[in-house]
Amino acid sequence: MEFSELIRTGRAEALLLPGPGQSTVRGTLCITSHHLLLSAGHGSPSDLWLLLHNVDAVEKRVAGNSGTITLKCKDLQVLQLEIEGLGETLDIASSIEALSSLESVTTSYPFFFRPQSLRLGDAEDLYPPDHFYQQVALETDAWRLSTVNRDFQVCASYPPALVVPRGIGDEVLARSAHFRQGGRFPVLSYYHSTNGTVMLRSSQPLQGANRRRCAEDEELLRAALALGGQRGLVLDTRSAQAVKQARITGGGTEAKAAYPGWKRLHRPLERGRPLQDSFVRLVEACTDPSLSMDRWLSRLDGCRWLTHVKEALTTACLVAQGMDREGVCFLVHGAEGTDATLLVTSLAQLILDPKCRTMHGFQSLLEREWIQAGHPFQQRCAHSAYAQGRPKHEAPTFLLFLDCVWQLSRQFPLSLEFGEGMLLALFEHAYASPFGTFLCNSEKERYLCEVKTKTHSLWSSLNQSKERQRFCNPIYSPNPLALWPSVEPQSLQLWAGKVSFPVPLPALSIGSALTGFLPTPNSRPFPPMDSST
Amino acid sequence: SSSMASAATPKYNSRSLENDSIRRSSRDGFTRDLCEEIPRLPGETRITDKEVIYICPFNGPIKGRVYITNYRLYLRSFETDSGALLDIPLGVIARVEKMGGASSRGENSYGLDITCKDMRNLRFALKQEGHSRRDIFEVLTKYAFPRSHGLPLFAFLNEEKFPENGWMVYNPIEEYRRQGLPNDQWRVSFVNKRFEMCETYPSILVVPYHSTDDDLRKVATFRSRNRIPVLSWIHPENKNVIMRCSQPLVGMGGKRNKDDEKYLDIIREANGQISKLAIFDARPSVNAVANKATGGGYESDDVYHNAEIFFLDIHNIHVMRESLRKLKDIVYPNVEESHWLSSLESTHWLEHVKFVLTGAIQVADKVASGRSSVLVHCSDGWDRTAQLTSLAMLILVYCLITACVNCTVFKLESNTSPCFFQRIGHGEKNHADTDRSPIFLQFMDCVWQMSKQFPTAFEFNEQFLITILDNLYSCRFGTFLFNSEYAREKEKVMMKTLSLWSMINSDKGKYTNPFYTKELNRALYPVASMRHLELWVNYYIRWNTRMRQQQPDPVEQRYMELLALRDEYVKRLEEMKMTNSAKLTSPSASSSAPSQMMPHVQTHF
Repeated sequence: MEFSELIRTGRAEALLLPGPGQSTVRGTLCITSHHLLLSAGHGSPSDLWLLLHNVDAVEKRVAGNSGTITLKCKDLQVLQLEIEGLGETLDIASSIEALSSLESVTTSYPFFFRPQSLRLGDAEDLYPPDHFYQQVALETDAWRLSTVNRDFQVCASYPPALVVPRGIGDEVLARSAHFRQGGRFPVLSYYHSTNGTVMLRSSQPLQGANRRRCAEDEELLRAALALGGQRGLVLDTRSAQAVKQARITGGGTEAKAAYPGWKRLHRPLERGRPLQDSFVRLVEACTDPSLSMDRWLSRLDGCRWLTHVKEALTTACLVAQGMDREGVCFLVHGAEGTDATLLVTSLAQLILDPKCRTMHGFQSLLEREWIQAGHPFQQRCAHSAYAQGRPKHEAPTFLLFLDCVWQLSRQFPLSLEFGEGMLLALFEHAYASPFGTFLCNSEKERYLCEVKTKTHSLWSSLNQSKERQRFCNPIYSPNPLALWPSVEPQSLQLWAGKVSFPVPLPALSIGSALTGFLPTPNSRPFPPMDSST
Repeated sequence: SSSMASAATPKYNSRSLENDSIRRSSRDGFTRDLCEEIPRLPGETRITDKEVIYICPFNGPIKGRVYITNYRLYLRSFETDSGALLDIPLGVIARVEKMGGASSRGENSYGLDITCKDMRNLRFALKQEGHSRRDIFEVLTKYAFPRSHGLPLFAFLNEEKFPENGWMVYNPIEEYRRQGLPNDQWRVSFVNKRFEMCETYPSILVVPYHSTDDDLRKVATFRSRNRIPVLSWIHPENKNVIMRCSQPLVGMGGKRNKDDEKYLDIIREANGQISKLAIFDARPSVNAVANKATGGGYESDDVYHNAEIFFLDIHNIHVMRESLRKLKDIVYPNVEESHWLSSLESTHWLEHVKFVLTGAIQVADKVASGRSSVLVHCSDGWDRTAQLTSLAMLILVYCLITACVNCTVFKLESNTSPCFFQRIGHGEKNHADTDRSPIFLQFMDCVWQMSKQFPTAFEFNEQFLITILDNLYSCRFGTFLFNSEYAREKEKVMMKTLSLWSMINSDKGKYTNPFYTKELNRALYPVASMRHLELWVNYYIRWNTRMRQQQPDPVEQRYMELLALRDEYVKRLEEMKMTNSAKLTSPSASSSAPSQMMPHVQTHF
C-alpha cells in the first residue's frame, strides 16, 4: 500500500493553540505516513510530533480562509490546530482521518521505527516462554511445561508454552480445550510459594443447556486441586444470572457434581460495552468545561468508574485472601477468559507476590498475564474515549487494571518499584505506540505478523538506564508482605493523571520535587526515526 | 474458624487481615499489668474510675475500665493488652447524655452517650443495678464543662514544662515592622489600648496616617460592634493593602456616615493610585440585603462612589455547622458506601470550602495585580472575614509561612481574632448554642487543600494541622481560649497558661514537612475547582478503623534519608572545591570562597 495516496496535502502553515500544559507553536505542519509534525523550524524543542495512530477523533471547523482542526487523542490529550487555507484544512483533516484509521498491523509505525539505541530482537530473551515455568520449578516439581499449543492448534489465543499439572498428558489438555470456549483450558497462572496454593485461569466450560460434561477437563481440575490443597473455589467473574444466559448459547460454568472439591463463587465484574461507556462518561465529565461545579461529585459517581475500580480490587483481594489466609486454590474465569479474568489474576499476584512489584517483575507479569495470555489489545484499544460511532470490541480493561495498580501505589507508596509515570506510559503505549509490544490480539497473530523480529520491544526501551530512571519510584523499598489495600470508597481516588482537566493543577508535586534528584527527563522520549515517507 | 470455601458470601476486609496479625504479635508480649497507673500530665489529677462496656462502633462491645481525670477520659480494655482504647481530652466532649433507663431491656441499653466535637461519638454501657452511672455522669459533666460549674479550665492547672516559650513567637509590633510599618501612609494607633473603642479588637491597630484617633472613633459608631476598617497586610511592592472590618450600620433607612465614607477614601488613596477601592463582602448578596433589617448592610455604589462591592457567596456559621453535621452523618460511625460521592456532594461541605478558597483567591489577586486595595467584611467581621484575610495572606505571603512553621496560623489568626470561645464552646455545656460553628476547622481544611496542591510549599505537615485542631478543643493550652485579646488579657492567659506553640516548637521535627523547598518564591494560587478539592479523609474519617492510614510516614522518612544523603554529597563537593581552590589561589582569597560557592552548588546527581 502506498501511504502517499492517502496524504492529500503534506504541508500547511499552522498554529497550535495552547492547551493545559502545552505552549503555542506556530510553524509548518507536515503529514507523513505515521506522524503529524508541527515545526517552528530548525528542530525547535517545542516541535510537535504526534503519532497519527494516537488520533481518536478529528473535528474540523472552517471559517473564511482558515480552519481549526481539533485532534482528540487516544491518550486523552486534545490538540487544537489553526490552519491557513480552507482547502488545506479539509485536506489535512481527511489525510489524518484516513491515516489514523488504518488497521493493517504490518504497515503500522512499529514496523518502521528504528531507534539507534536499540537492536531488533534484543528483548527476545527478556521473557522467554518458559520463564514463568523456571520460576515455578524452583519451588515445586508438581507442574510441567506443556507445548501442546506449539503451533497454536489447540488454542488460538494461548501462547505456545503453558504450565499444567505434571500428571496430565497433552491429549487430556487437548480434550479439555475442546470443552472450553476458544480452547482456553485451565492453566497455572500463579503458584503461591508460601503455602503452595495455586491460581488457575481458563475460559468458561461449554456446558450448554443439556449440561455437557468432559471427563478430561474434570481430571485436569482434580489433578490441579490435588497439587494445590484440598479446597478449590471457581471464581466466576459473571453473575449467576449471566451464567444462566450463557448456558443457552452453549457456555456455562463448572457443575458442582462434576468437580468434587470445587465450590463456586460469582463476583460479577463489568466488561465490554458498559465498561467502555463508563470510561467515555468519565472522560466527558472530566473535560466538560460547562459542568457546574456543585454537580461534579455526583456526576463522577454516576460514571461508576470508581465503582469498577473498587469491584476489581475487591475481587482480586478476595482471591488473594483466600489463597494466603485460607489455603484455597482458585480457578478464575468469566466467558472468554481474556478480560475480567486477567484483571483479577494479575491484580491478585501484585497483591501477594513481592516479585511482581519490581520493574522487571511487573513487566514480566504484564507480558505473561496480559500480552501472552491473549488479552485482545488491538480490539480493546482500537479506540479510546473520544471516538465517534458505535464501539465494536473496545473496552478499557487494561486501563482499569492500571488504575487499580495506581490505587495500590497510592496506598503503598514505597512498595512498587515503578512510579505513576510508568503506568501512564503503559496506558499510552497500549493505545498507540512506536513499539510492537501491544500490537495484535494474541501470540499467534504476533507470530504471523513477525512482530518479535520486525518491531522493537517496549521493554528493551524501558530498561535502558535513562528511561528506567524516569519510570522508577525513587522511594521504593522492597516489601516482603502482601499488600492489603483499603477498598472503601473514601480510600479510592480518581486517577487524575490520565485525564486533563479544563483547569489543571499547578505543576508542582512531590514527584517534581523528587525529580530534582534525577537528571532532567527527556521531554520527547521517542523521536520518530523512520524513513517510510 | 471462618472458612472462605464454605462461607456463603466471603467478604474482603483489609483491616481484619491487619488486626489479625497485630493481635497475634501482641499476644506474645502479654505481661501488662491492668491496674497500671494511667498517663497523666503534670497538674492532672485522677477523679474517678469505673468498669464499663465500651460500645465500639467498629469492633462491638469491649469490657474495660474508664478513668476520668480533670483533663482526660481514658479507657483500658480488660480483653486486649493494647494499652489505651480511648485517650480523649475532656474538652473534646460536646455533650453527655444518659441512654436508656433503669427499666430498659436489651443488652447494653443502659449507659452514657457522649457526643464529641471532633467527628465522633462514644457510647458506654453500665450495669443497670444501683444507679451505677449517676456518679460518672456527674463527674463527666462537671469536668468536661468546668465553666458551667464554676471550675477553671485545665489550661489554668496544667503544669507542663517546655524548653520553648510559645507566647514569644508572635509580637504584633515586630510583625508590622517586618511589613515595613509604620510608614508615611500608615501609622500604629493606640486608640484601642485599653480596648475602650472595640472590645473584640487587639490593642494595637494599624490605620491610615491621615486619620486621627478621633476620626477612628467616629467611624466606629457606624460599624457593627465598632470594628472599624484596620490594616491586615500591606503588599511589599505595590503597597496595596488588605483591610478588614465589620458591616456598616446602614439599616433599612439607608443611613450614611460622612466619616466612614471619608475614611474609606483615605484608604483608597493611600497606595497612591486612583482606582476604586474593592470591597469584598463575604456574604451572599441576599444575606447582605437581609442584614439591613437588623441594622446592618453593605456599602452601596451610589453612596461610596469610589468603591466597588463584590459578594463572595459564603454562607453563614449556621449553614456551615449544618453542613458539617451532615458530613458527620455520612462518615461516622460507618461510611456511606453506596453512592459515596453523591452523598458527599449532598453535604455541600466541599462546596463551602470551595467558596471560601475562591473568595480568598479573588482577594489575593486583587491586591497582587496592583489595581487596588481591598476591604473585606462579612457581618461582624470575625468569621468569614478572618478566613478570607488569613487565606489571602497564605496565598501571597509565603515568606511568612517559611519564617517559622509553628506560629503561622497563630499570627494570622490572632491578628484577626476570631471568637474561639463562642464558636468552640470551651468548657461550656450548652451544646445547642447557635454560636457554635466549625469556622476554624473550615479554615484549616482550606489550608490542607492548599498543602495538597503545593506539597513542597509549606514547612508544616498534616500532623501539624491535626494537632492544632485537636488542641483547639483540648483546653490543654491557652492559645485558643477566649474570644479576643481583651478577654485573654483579662484572664491573664499568657501568664497562667501554656501556649500550644511551646509544645510544637519543642518538637519541631514531628511537624515539619520534609518535602518543603525554600526556593519557592512566589504567590501560591490554589485551584478551587471542585475537581481538585478532596475530602480530608485523614481528619474527618480518622476514627474509622477500616480507613487505612495511607502510610505518609515511611515516605517522609525515606525522603529525609535522601535529603541527608544529598546534604552529605553537597558537603563533600564543598570540601573538594575547598581543597581545589586552596591549591589554586592564595590563602587570603580562599577564606571567602565557601560562602560564595554555596549558591552554585547544584543538587543533580
